[in-house]
Amino acid sequence: MHGSTAASGTGTEGTASRGHRWLRLHRVAPLLLLALGVAAVFGSRRLGLGELTAPGPGLWPFIVSLLLTGTAAVLVLLDPAEDYEPWTRGTVRIIAGLVSLGVFILLFQTFGFVVAAFLMLLLWLRVFGGESWRMTLVLAVGGTAVMYLLFVEALGVPFPDGLVDAVIGG
Amino acid sequence: MDSWNGILQGFSVALDPTNLLYVFLGVLIGTVIGVLPGLGPTATIALLLPITYTVEPVTAVILLAGIYYGSMYGGTITSVLLRLPGEAASVVTTFDGYQMAKQGRAGPALGIAAVGSFIGGTVSVVGMVLLAPPLADLAVSFGPPEYVALTVLGILLVTYLGTGSVLKSLSMAAVGLLLATIGLDPITGTARFTFGEVSLFNGLDFVAVAMGLFGVGEILHSLERTEKVQAVTSKIKGIWPTRKDFRDSAGAIGRGSVLGFAIGVLPGGGGVVSSLASYAMEKRRAKDPSRFGKGAIEGVAGPETANNASSTSAFIPLLTLGIPPNVVLALIFGALLVQDITPGPQLIEQQPEIFWGVIASMVIGNLMLLALNIPLVGVFVQMLRVRAGILAAFALLVTMAGVFSVNNNVFDMWVVLGFGVIGWLMKKTGFEPGPLVLAFVLGSILERAFRQSMLISGGSFDIFVTRPISGGMFAFMALIIIVSAITSRRRKAVFGRVDPADVDETDEPGPDADRQVTAEGSPGADSTTDTPSSTTPGER
Repeated sequence: MHGSTAASGTGTEGTASRGHRWLRLHRVAPLLLLALGVAAVFGSRRLGLGELTAPGPGLWPFIVSLLLTGTAAVLVLLDPAEDYEPWTRGTVRIIAGLVSLGVFILLFQTFGFVVAAFLMLLLWLRVFGGESWRMTLVLAVGGTAVMYLLFVEALGVPFPDGLVDAVIGG
Repeated sequence: MDSWNGILQGFSVALDPTNLLYVFLGVLIGTVIGVLPGLGPTATIALLLPITYTVEPVTAVILLAGIYYGSMYGGTITSVLLRLPGEAASVVTTFDGYQMAKQGRAGPALGIAAVGSFIGGTVSVVGMVLLAPPLADLAVSFGPPEYVALTVLGILLVTYLGTGSVLKSLSMAAVGLLLATIGLDPITGTARFTFGEVSLFNGLDFVAVAMGLFGVGEILHSLERTEKVQAVTSKIKGIWPTRKDFRDSAGAIGRGSVLGFAIGVLPGGGGVVSSLASYAMEKRRAKDPSRFGKGAIEGVAGPETANNASSTSAFIPLLTLGIPPNVVLALIFGALLVQDITPGPQLIEQQPEIFWGVIASMVIGNLMLLALNIPLVGVFVQMLRVRAGILAAFALLVTMAGVFSVNNNVFDMWVVLGFGVIGWLMKKTGFEPGPLVLAFVLGSILERAFRQSMLISGGSFDIFVTRPISGGMFAFMALIIIVSAITSRRRKAVFGRVDPADVDETDEPGPDADRQVTAEGSPGADSTTDTPSSTTPGER
């Protein structure tokens, strides 16, 4: 569920930044919530409401999604617009940052923690942090080492096997 | 007498070398993140949740509690010196604290805040010792309907006391309750909203949700801003306030202690509300209110005392009723749940070492903070030199590695990322994550209690109003809704009286400083219950 919300969220946001600067996400957020609420109402009915004397698995979700639908419906009509922050050029950085986090997870799964952590620190420090190359390299190498020692050696977290483990182990 | 034994037991727990180390770590981390404007206590506690699973439950709570009240001290430092509130509860301190700093009285402002915080914290601990055991005794007789009333009250108060739109908060609470239903139905075992994903059968992991919304969401949000913070160059001298300062602020500290304690106990209370209330109270009581916003020491002493008192007393509902009164406490509640400890009325009886140990650790922690803060202010200020980009990179890496370590499951990393996106979008669109997380934590308690109540009553809703305690609580809720509907305009006026005028008055330092506050003030802002997302909290 969170996945779909996230995906649609980033989608709307893309169109907004392509449009005018003054275009705010007005009304889109409550509409998304409304859609979520309505979907949940039907979903919980499918689960089986049962009776009040013998509540089924869907009864409580049903009540909650009614509350969500109700509040979202009112918000569609009278949402104060001043709550919304405008989309800025910084938004592009965020999307790039999000993509990089997704890539981090994939790298983490396939190549292990050390490679993924080093590359992520490299990217974030250099591109998003604007550090010098020297500072970036020092921090990325040092940071990866410290994190590895902390999580793997000190806390004993079983990270997925990666390149480094293969090298050390082999 | 019983309490006395409890206190002795508590100190024997808190003085254990490991726990002593964790109190120290907690208050130190708390102070540091209070100073750093990018990270609030909520985000930090969320980030550190995975680490707490490797230690004893009592040690975990001691650490997290230390972070919470430690951040109340730390937030003061940047509020006074730079007019940058490190966390939301310190926004009020910028009004008079920064003015005092401009008049060369930064030292006394910080000194009186530290002393006031210490007194507030201590008064709260005493109040907790007196109030918690009888409250727990009362709560032992609570049945499912009372728990329904209590959780609903908690969620309602968080949505009402938050500074944003009540309707938006309510819808977020509904989302939180809905998210809490994901997973196997506790009674029938039916899979609900899992979409065939096995990792969802146990529900969304609380840690992943909290880390995503508060940790990643906040980091992303602060990434959009590129402004740099200026370091303080001038030296701070004469920290210890003069005798006149003490005389001037004694009343404010006394009132702040009591007010903060009372607000902290209420569901939905917490640092932000209590410091605003204390400031409003001092200003109203003052013979010459026009001094406020121009460096009145009471305007620093009162709110700082109150926010620390409330961050201590907020533990009362958690440890006696099992109801977290605000988001930070909801995170601590989650940390205990994962340790297989359900806080509630039985906690004092069954796990006295947790209850009394935490209380004793607060006394020690407050002493440490007093000792740390007065001589080391200069050192903490240097923390501001750490650039936001470096902080963000490492915080994200710790988040990702940390959330994996909870269940050793990559799926949780995607959950963090997903909720990070949601958290950032919520910040952009003015929805508060607080009610969502609180409702998410309380959701399963509420559902279970509701279904049990229905079984007891044979499907009649009368059960909620005919029983005296739950009936009373629902009446109280109805009263809140009615009163706030009638006086919603006045409520704004009360909060409005505190801020806009003062912010305007202090607005003179020029566009540069102004930009800093709007830019850096907000990232740490949603620390406790509510999110004032700019320089004027509670104004909307």
